[in-house]
Amino acid sequence: MSDANAGYVAELAAALRESGLPEERVAATVADVATHLQETGADGLDEFGPVGEFAAQLAPAGAEAVAESPVETWRWTADTYADEALLNRFGAEGWEVERIDALGRFVSRRDAERPLSWEYRRELVSLLGREDLDERLAPDGWEACGNWLMYAWFKRPVAVREGPAAELAAPAPRPAARSGLGRYVSRRLRWTLALTAVTLVVAAVVVGLAEGDAASGLGFAGGLLAGAAVPLGLMAVVSWRTERVRGRADSEAL
Amino acid sequence: MTATPADRRASWFKGVLDLLVLASLTGGESYGYEIAKTLDAAGFGRIKGGTLYPVLNRLEEAGLVAAEFRAADKGPGRRYYTLTDAGRDTLQAQGGQWLAFEASVRELLAKGGVA
Repeated sequence: MSDANAGYVAELAAALRESGLPEERVAATVADVATHLQETGADGLDEFGPVGEFAAQLAPAGAEAVAESPVETWRWTADTYADEALLNRFGAEGWEVERIDALGRFVSRRDAERPLSWEYRRELVSLLGREDLDERLAPDGWEACGNWLMYAWFKRPVAVREGPAAELAAPAPRPAARSGLGRYVSRRLRWTLALTAVTLVVAAVVVGLAEGDAASGLGFAGGLLAGAAVPLGLMAVVSWRTERVRGRADSEAL
Repeated sequence: MTATPADRRASWFKGVLDLLVLASLTGGESYGYEIAKTLDAAGFGRIKGGTLYPVLNRLEEAGLVAAEFRAADKGPGRRYYTLTDAGRDTLQAQGGQWLAFEASVRELLAKGGVA
């Protein structure tokens, strides 16, 4: 799919969501439009017209008036080596991740009356952002649901692949909360904070000893900033290696 | 007499497109692009998605067609449409009204000397 069409499809998905169309319907419509564009080779704007007008015809004003059913909410944490599996497990039980909060927790919701199954994928991104990932994945129904440093998580309703069969008749009860600090802060965040704190102290001491004055202004601040960059850099390298190992393992498993 | 031939034809087409879509589904399930090809082959020209998909959407909301999303060989997947019983009844009733209207037009035009 061309970049222009991928952009068109991503814009359409956003416009349909904004209009209040149910997520299941948004995903199916977007996938349908993407397939149509692939088959015809047409330009999205030429084939379907301006995104706003097309979305308004597919999601009439009444879409927002649909009464919302009760929703359960849940915040939980998972470590990077297990998060994708857990996301898909809880997604199969109807939990939709809305975002990742400042403590690294997955903020999730579940429709109490008509829960849908969700599936998730994690992608490695640069620290600058998700670049063109949103547009590339949107035609397949994927929507970004959170970022943490060099990771980006995407979700989509299983209904995109399985149709109405993906609706859950009797979802599992909400998983029990973890006890202690792990309930509130992910191990991912705890390790990052601990490593950053240790490196800051070491950097400050080194700079202070080198200049003979532990509070030497610019040099001290520079040392702190340089020190803070070390754990983040290390995390990037570790994550990149983890992804490589995981990718190799996946290839060998096939 | 201000309408151009193209405008007039577009106006006729707009008025009967939903019936044509229903009629194209009497042979079995189909999807957007395939319906567009059917209409093109019938002589109505290439129907763009921006015209066809909102019609399919309205027909589905009215319960005249049922849609099911399934994976496709090419692309992420598509919605397949089938005619419902209500859609079949509507096609018969409103299709009959169109034929009666067309017969009246034809008769008057013939009297006016249009061959």
